[in-house]
Amino acid sequence: MKNITNPETSVAAAGGKKRRREEEEEVGGSHAANEDECFSLQDELTFSDTSVALRMMRAQFPRIDQASVPPFILQSQLYSSLNDRTQVDRELERLRRDKVVRVFKLNTGQDDHAIIFLDDYLYQVDRIAKRMEENKQSDTDIFKWFKEHVLDSKLEPSIAHHELCSLLALGGKVKDAHITLLINAGLLTRQLIDPDMYWFAIPSIGKLWKALLQGRKELLSLLKRKRHKEMFLAELEKRRLRYSPLDMRFHIRDLIGSGHLKTFQTTSGLVVRVSND
Amino acid sequence: MWQAIQARETGRTPCNSFANQLKSRRISSLQLCNRKDFVSPHRGAVNSLQVDLTEGRYLLSGASDGSAAVFDTQRATDSEASGLIEKHKCVFSVDKGHEHGHRFAVSSAVWYPIDTGLFVTGSFDHLIKVWDTNTAQAVVDFKMPGKVYRTAMSSLAMSHTLIAAGTEDVQVRLCDIASGAFSHTLSGHRDGVMSVEWSTSSEWVLYTGGCDGAIRFWDIRRAGCFRVLDQSVTQLGVRPPILKHSAVSTKVSAEKSSSGAKNRLKTLHTRPSVEKARQKRLHPGMLSTLDRATAHYGVVTGLKATNDGMYLLSAGKNKAVGYSIGCNTLLNFETGRLQTSKAIQMATSDDPALVFVPCMKTVKAFGMWSGRTTLMFRGHYESVNTCCFNSTDQELYTSGADRQILVWSPGGSVEGEMDQDEEAAEDKDNWSD
Repeated sequence: MKNITNPETSVAAAGGKKRRREEEEEVGGSHAANEDECFSLQDELTFSDTSVALRMMRAQFPRIDQASVPPFILQSQLYSSLNDRTQVDRELERLRRDKVVRVFKLNTGQDDHAIIFLDDYLYQVDRIAKRMEENKQSDTDIFKWFKEHVLDSKLEPSIAHHELCSLLALGGKVKDAHITLLINAGLLTRQLIDPDMYWFAIPSIGKLWKALLQGRKELLSLLKRKRHKEMFLAELEKRRLRYSPLDMRFHIRDLIGSGHLKTFQTTSGLVVRVSND
Repeated sequence: MWQAIQARETGRTPCNSFANQLKSRRISSLQLCNRKDFVSPHRGAVNSLQVDLTEGRYLLSGASDGSAAVFDTQRATDSEASGLIEKHKCVFSVDKGHEHGHRFAVSSAVWYPIDTGLFVTGSFDHLIKVWDTNTAQAVVDFKMPGKVYRTAMSSLAMSHTLIAAGTEDVQVRLCDIASGAFSHTLSGHRDGVMSVEWSTSSEWVLYTGGCDGAIRFWDIRRAGCFRVLDQSVTQLGVRPPILKHSAVSTKVSAEKSSSGAKNRLKTLHTRPSVEKARQKRLHPGMLSTLDRATAHYGVVTGLKATNDGMYLLSAGKNKAVGYSIGCNTLLNFETGRLQTSKAIQMATSDDPALVFVPCMKTVKAFGMWSGRTTLMFRGHYESVNTCCFNSTDQELYTSGADRQILVWSPGGSVEGEMDQDEEAAEDKDNWSD
């Protein structure tokens, strides 16, 4: 396969790794979605650049028909896909400031952050606004103000109440009912950490959130039941999870990045093991 | 090695860089020491280690069984295996049997920074005791409102001898040894304070990290904290950005009184309608209590300031990050999981710039500016609580829940380094699978 050089790829940190050679092609993959089943996870576990990694993982996001959720990537998945975590953090920060992606904090109890491309998110917000209009709920201008004023200026995953009100007021008169509407639509939420702060949320994330937690538990228990708590990556990838519609690749990357699993190279390929540190 | 010495003699290498090269070579070969051993008298997890600041010779340790012990790191008490392994027994120890000893776990033991005549221990029995080293008697007692998590004394202090104490109470108290009373009470945290650290660049600045995830900077000469670190205020790169003129809002609009803050943390009630901005008159020093920024999403378990005073490293639930004064530098140390219920103590070395962080059962050394793991020390049987780096000898002391104090020293003897140029005769039969 031809090795297409990506002009924005920074110099690969540990260049010359055989497995990374094969996935530098097909950036912007509309046909990646069809062909990626041919590449096993073993070949494309790591990438060379954050934006390449983000786009490839977005293309690999499983299509779930019941939930209309934009494809998201967890930060732990990014950590497992790239060598240098500091570099990942800095590049992600750069992308966030350039308004290419948006970071959301998920309410899982651990430090989970979901990264979504801004275009996908805005498309989702528009869909919700349209749906609310169809249901003839009053005052759907709030979504427009939200998009224009709040999303544009506030890049962090959380926002304080008074700041939210002042930013929305730039669009028009804000009532409490408007904020209730935003929460009902799933765009804002509150978490137990701080009663004064609203957190930006991904709309209709509930089903996938549950799937994430259950899938993690299932995968870990699957591996823990083995005698030596390890399994070949190629074999693990072929299994299906019962409780999670998200695919196995998603969960494997996530658990490697958060430190619950570790991989090491053997003569027959990569092996995944539960880490005991 | 001989060539390096010759280069120094002829002036090709300046003295400082010769010493630094030697030190960095030694540090990069740190491994479990097979020549030196501390015989630990503790019967509980060792929570705190500190080498004294004046000579770098005496190691003070505090443990969960209420005992504190002092070891001499340079002179062994006896030796085994015909002089090859040196055993260091403790010079003395004060434990529960001592008439003035602590009754519960000692969470923190620090030396008096001026000389080794005094040391200070803080314990879960709500007391901070100042001990006289020569007579092993407790000289002063301070009673705290809650369990003491950490005590700290400033190594730069010229004009004060204050002990900063972080307890499970929300207020940080400063105790004065000279007068025997509390000199300051610093309020601003919304939960217990687990880590306290004095600044290495100013004798008046104190950094505290709380169980609420906030890190606050206090200048003890004025009221209130002057900065709260926010993890979303970031900088790209190691150097802080040149500050644009930032609009400072002195009166925060539309908030409730801060006394209700503690209760509201537990309940999630619906917000009343947006009222007109109610400006409550607060003392300017108390304005910082309204700042809710957090540096970590969980408990801040460890703080360490670098020796040049420009950066602060903080450890939280799953990550250890570096903050330059003001901004999050986005340095991500690949720590994996860190323990969250207990405070940990990190250590730094200057040249090469390394950070030693205890991660569960291992201690990992990270390059300070790259965030990558350079060395990993596996030797403890249980989780590691503290590490302390002795820069005069380039030795690392670590201790943990397995009651041991382990020594990690540069591998290879000095003679081995001198003979580096000659080919060492390899024993080809000495292999194993």
